[in-house]
Amino acid sequence: MSSMHIETEVRALISDVARVDASAIDRDEDLVERLGVDSLQGLQMLAAVEKRFDVRLPDEDLGRLHTIARIADVVGRLQNGGSS
Amino acid sequence: MRIGLIAMSGVRVRNAELATLGVTLPQFVSRGKVVASLPSLGLLTVAALTPDDCDVEYLEIGDIRAHDRLEPFDLVGISSFTAQIGEAYELADRYRAMGVPVVLGGLHVSLMPDEAAAHADSIVLYGAEGAWPRLVDDFRRGRLQRRYEGLRARVFEAPNYAVPRFDLLAGRPYNRVTVQTSRGCPLNCEFCAASLRITTSYQQKPVDAAIAEIRAALAARSTPFLELADDNTFVNKKWGKAFLRAIAPLEVRWFTETDISIADDEELLDLLAASGCRQVLIGLESPDSGGLDGIDPRNWKKARAGRYLEAIDRIQSRGISVNGCFIVGLDTHTPDVFEAVRDFVSRSGLLEVQVTVQTPFPNTPLYHRLAREGRLLEDRPWDRCTLFDVTYRPKHMTVDELEGGLRWLFGQLYNEGEFIKRKRHYMDIVKAVMA
Repeated sequence: MSSMHIETEVRALISDVARVDASAIDRDEDLVERLGVDSLQGLQMLAAVEKRFDVRLPDEDLGRLHTIARIADVVGRLQNGGSS
Repeated sequence: MRIGLIAMSGVRVRNAELATLGVTLPQFVSRGKVVASLPSLGLLTVAALTPDDCDVEYLEIGDIRAHDRLEPFDLVGISSFTAQIGEAYELADRYRAMGVPVVLGGLHVSLMPDEAAAHADSIVLYGAEGAWPRLVDDFRRGRLQRRYEGLRARVFEAPNYAVPRFDLLAGRPYNRVTVQTSRGCPLNCEFCAASLRITTSYQQKPVDAAIAEIRAALAARSTPFLELADDNTFVNKKWGKAFLRAIAPLEVRWFTETDISIADDEELLDLLAASGCRQVLIGLESPDSGGLDGIDPRNWKKARAGRYLEAIDRIQSRGISVNGCFIVGLDTHTPDVFEAVRDFVSRSGLLEVQVTVQTPFPNTPLYHRLAREGRLLEDRPWDRCTLFDVTYRPKHMTVDELEGGLRWLFGQLYNEGEFIKRKRHYMDIVKAVMA
């Protein structure tokens, strides 16, 4: 899956979980600040990402994945068999 | 006429060591921060009860020292929790010195009316419903009374009830918007200083009114996460199921406070998950039944403690996280309680946990009992009623043991490793229930 495709899918998942239109969000914008996402919603987003891409995000990253770019980047690396 | 409605906001912790821990430990004051960052639903309701020809402004003040100059109004209404009441009185005194009449209201004022009256031109006890419209009318006629009593029953019946002015929150960065569906709680725990103290019995909003209010809140705010400002939402399971069926089509994600009995009703849990509920806060209070003896008059919580773990599993397996709340320093507690809480939390898989110290809020049965027994460390320790500061002599440990035990427990529960463990457990549950 291309990195652009991953990013598009991540955006869609965020829109679904946070019930907002994430299409206009900059890939490097902080989701907590931009969308007011709290920790609970953040975990739901990450769970949705893991389920959709069939990956397991590194535990140490769970509190740090606050932008679309960062999430997509980690997912891309994991899909390519690398570490985050 | 311009009316200023001012909420005292922010988290207060007096104990310097605990305050420092709050800054450094993940999740320690997260729930406190959430609460502190919520708008004052009470004042938004007061605004809605104000005649349309008045201009109403809603303000929040976290630190009055940062406000050298106060916004002038024709009338000011101030609401505050107990820990900030000294600051609320100081603000009221400053406004009155400027010649601005001040009305004080809210839970603390309702519980300590004579104390509050010394700092106000008028006070409102209990809910604003049934009192505020009369107060504004009297003020305009120049005959403001010293004291008004709002309704304690039939609060949510027309014409008493008004949809809060959510529009006043426009442009403010709240993570959550609040809506109330009920006031009071039948459990009547000895320590409770919440809305049961301003009601004669459990008050529940009709489902259609609750849904209309949620629609109004969502229309005024783009923030999609909703917090029900209830103390125990699902006392009435029949009402609960009707409410859950009605809220589900709104596709909102939401949070509420309730009791452990929801785990006994499979249909309710299924509806709860389908409704968009993402977290319930439940007062577990103590990890074992022995610790809960006498906490409520019917020993309702004690009877359920043996099934806490199973109940938490049943709720969380629906993808609804449980924020489990514990109180340390109960009269049944020895210094062993700190390890017991840590072990319980570790076994339970709770996503979030909130530990507070028993706090004798004013005019509660707990306050009167401790005062009778000569165990209060000082009279009227309101600025230490933060839920983290110790204000009384515990029965089976010293004050130092309670304070030290609390700090130790915070270190055990609120560290990065435990936090990640809880996050991972919750994410695995969420994935398991995803379609």
